[in-house]
Order: sequence, then structure tokens, then C-alpha cells
Amino acid sequence: SAGILAAHKITASSPDTDLPTVSGLRKMGVNFTVSNKDTVKSSDVLFLAVKPPIIPFILEEVGPDIEPRHIVVSCAAGVTISSIEKKLSTFCPTPKVIRCMTNTPVIVREGATVYATGTHADVEDGKLLEQLMASVGFCTEVEEDLIDAVTGLSGSGPAYAFTALDALADGGVKMGLPRRLAVRLGAQALLGAAKMLLESEQHPGQLKDNVCSPGGATIHALHFLESGGFRSLLINAVEASCIRTRELQHVADQEKISPAAIKKTLLDKVKMESPSLSSKVSLFTNKS
Amino acid sequence: GKVPASNILASAPSDKNLDTWRESGCRTTHCNLEVLQDTTLVFLATKPHILPGVLQEIRPAVGPHHIVVSMAAGVSLQTLQRLLPAGTKVLRMMPNLPCVVQAGAIVFARGSAAGDGEAALLKNLLSSCGLCEEVPESYINIHTGLSGSGVAYVYLFAEALAEGAVKMGMPVGLASRIAAQTLLGAAKMMLETGEHPAKLRGDVCTPGGTTIHALHQLEKGALRATVMNAVEAATNRACDVAKD
Repeated sequence: SAGILAAHKITASSPDTDLPTVSGLRKMGVNFTVSNKDTVKSSDVLFLAVKPPIIPFILEEVGPDIEPRHIVVSCAAGVTISSIEKKLSTFCPTPKVIRCMTNTPVIVREGATVYATGTHADVEDGKLLEQLMASVGFCTEVEEDLIDAVTGLSGSGPAYAFTALDALADGGVKMGLPRRLAVRLGAQALLGAAKMLLESEQHPGQLKDNVCSPGGATIHALHFLESGGFRSLLINAVEASCIRTRELQHVADQEKISPAAIKKTLLDKVKMESPSLSSKVSLFTNKS
Repeated sequence: GKVPASNILASAPSDKNLDTWRESGCRTTHCNLEVLQDTTLVFLATKPHILPGVLQEIRPAVGPHHIVVSMAAGVSLQTLQRLLPAGTKVLRMMPNLPCVVQAGAIVFARGSAAGDGEAALLKNLLSSCGLCEEVPESYINIHTGLSGSGVAYVYLFAEALAEGAVKMGMPVGLASRIAAQTLLGAAKMMLETGEHPAKLRGDVCTPGGTTIHALHQLEKGALRATVMNAVEAATNRACDVAKD
């Protein structure tokens, strides 16, 4: 929808054709197939958009068809570049792997995405991904070891914001505003503040001061926030999300059971849990 | 060093308080009225409850050429003007303790008859003791909560810093001196760079480093809110005391 890649150049693949995302993609004009192998053959950049436990299976399935030209991009939380490279190296000596972490507001083209390039990915490969992801928000390269922290901050961040907005709306309703208006105003306030910060050279502390007239309403409210340990709660949240990401990655690294043995169980479980994102490999071509 | 000591006359009922003045070369007396006859700029530095009596005593000798500056906590310009002849140039100031080391923070407000000349004179003189700013009278109690009492908050913080260091194995004497120097240095950077303290704080925090870990502890303890509470409590108390 950002218009940087024509829909017909994109191929999406999913074993389950009944998913709502499938029809959505079809409506956009994206090519659709149920064969992962076919998509690999006709694409250059491969986005793996499956749940982390499925990644090993997908890699085994498409591994034989991976060629030196392919750039494999994984957005799976906690799946390391080295684990993907290790899996693919049995098929291809120098697989190009990029790992990225994005967040849900890519949907409205205000995402926050970071990526780390693998051993054999060139600078141009990273730049290509950056160009793609920058069309749906902010995108920058980072060292892989920072991706957990990014998850804690901007990966989970929208959830913190939704929680805050829900509560702000409650505050508005308590003081007499209709719910819809309260939600609208709260969201706009956060949107506006974020925009001011991004467009300003000033420190958020300075911007905060600019809103607080001496003895006024805002400073009284801020005092309440401070008394409740607002800042430390947010720090705790980012920390908890980051630590949990690391834990999950550690669990994934264990990989003690053979992939084939658990494949069917996992696939069924994943299908039941999240109809929108299960067992899907979305593939984008960059043939221009 | 703005005024030669011989030009200063200090008055007190007993010699107890006058020795320091004499040692610096000032003239001294036990007679308040003599001060009024001899000087133009008169500082009233008595305890608040003594002040009304002193004002009554000196009132007959106060003239249009005098500039009267009170530093009595809680005694308003309105009260001062009421107890002195109409049209007397009155100002009210609030210093803090570190004036004694020329690193004070002083605010002053002018009464209805005091003009730009008097304000400029006072500011010029007091700036030799530290930072001096003219303010509306309503800020004086806030200054008390922030800086008058604030000095004690800093001592408390310094003591706690040192204690933390002692816990980690440093001798208390050294820890105290380093704590004090840390506060001095941080304050100096704030004053000299003019940068927002939040920015200066961020500059010290390397990602994942020691400082951000420590700051998290401070935030968990809601230090900011506690400090705001302290300033508020002292300011409110200053207002209450003034009403008495």
C-alpha cells in the first residue's frame, strides 16, 4: 500500500487457503499459491512470516531450492541469524540471511523496524530490505544482540500505548466525556506528542516542561504519575519484555525434539490458535 | 567585597552576635536607632516574632531616603509597610544558607514604594553572595521550599550517597567528600551549560551501563515524586507560618 512494489510482483504462499489474510492479499492483486517451493523459485527476497517454532520446518522444506541470489528475511521473534544460517548451510554454502523485528503499526505505515544482516548478506541486501520496510515506517540497521531490547521497546510498545490509551479514555469518561470522544482525543494526544518529539531537537523532558505552566493543571497531574512510579513501571515493562524474549530464544535454541516428530502437532496447534498468521510464507519478488 | 567594612554598621542587643562583624572590620553598636541615623540601606535580620517590636522602635527614625530590606521569614511586604511610615522604600528578601560561602540562592521582592533603582542596588549587592533574582512576592515561599529548605534535602542526598559507598567498601570521609564534589560538579554543569537536566542525565547513561541501572532504582523508589512532595510540604508550611 506504500506503493513501492507492484502487487503482481508479490507472491504469497499458505497451505491453508481459507484464512482471511489470504483473501485480503488476493484482493490487493498479490499472486497466491499453496506451494512454498513455487514461490521460492519465482522470488528473490523471501519473507518468512511464520511463528518461530515453524521456522525450522519451512527452512527444511525450501532449503533445497535456495540459491545464492535469494535473500531470506526472518521476522520470527527469538530466531537467531546463526540458527537460520546453520539450517540453510546444509543446502547452500553462503545463504544470505537478514533478521528483522518490526511491530504492528506497519499496518498503518507507522511501523518501527530494525534489521541485522547475516554473515553472507551484502550491504546492498540490507539496504534493499531497509528500502522496503521504510515504506511502512521507520527502519534502521542494528547489531543482532540489540533485537531483544528493540522487542521490549517498540515490539511490545504498541501494547503499552493501547493500555495507556484505554486508561486515559477511562479518565476522560470519569470526568464526563463520552467514550468515543475520549478515545479519539487520547489517541490524538499521544500521536501529536510523538510527532512533536520526532520532529523536535528537544529532549522529551524539555517538551514536558513546555506543557507545564507553573502551578497549573498539568504539573499537578504529573505529580500523580511520578507518585505512582510511572517512569519505573515503563522501564520495568521494557525490561520484562526484553528478558522474556531472551528466555524464549533460549528455549527455542534447545531444539531437543526432532522437527519431523513435532511438526504435525505444532501445525495443528498453530492453526487453531491464530487463524490470521499460521503456516504462511509470504514471499516478495523484486524483479523490476 | 563590594562595600568597605568601615561602611557597614551592625546592631545587636548583645555582643554575642557582633564579634564576627567586628573581626571583619565592621563597626558595631547596641543601638538600632544609630543604624538608621548612620546608614541608607538597612537590613532587618531579626527573628520574625522580634521584628514588629524592632519596627516600632525604629519607625520614628525612618525617612524617605532609607531603603529597608527585611529577610524575616513569613513577614509580608504588606505587614512591613504597615509598620513603617507610609511611602518607605521596602524590599523583602529570602536567602539560603550557602550565602556564607558565596554560593547562595537569593530572591527578593519589592514593596510598592521601591523602584528600579533600589531593586538594582540590592541585586548588585546580593549577587556577591551567589545567585540573586527579583521575583513576585508570591514566589518567596516557593523559594523557601525549593532552596531555603532545599539545602537540607541535598545534605540528606549526599549522606545517602556516601552511605551507599560505605556499604560498598569506601571509608566514610572519602565517600562524603566525593559525594559533595559530585553534587557540586553536576550543579556547576547545569548552571554553566544551561542544558536541561534530563538531557544532561541522558548524556551520562551509556546503554545498558551502570548509570541507567542505578537510575532505574531511583525511579522505582519514586524519588521524583518524593522530592516534589518535599518542596510542596515546605512551601505550604512557609505559607502557614506566615499566616500565624
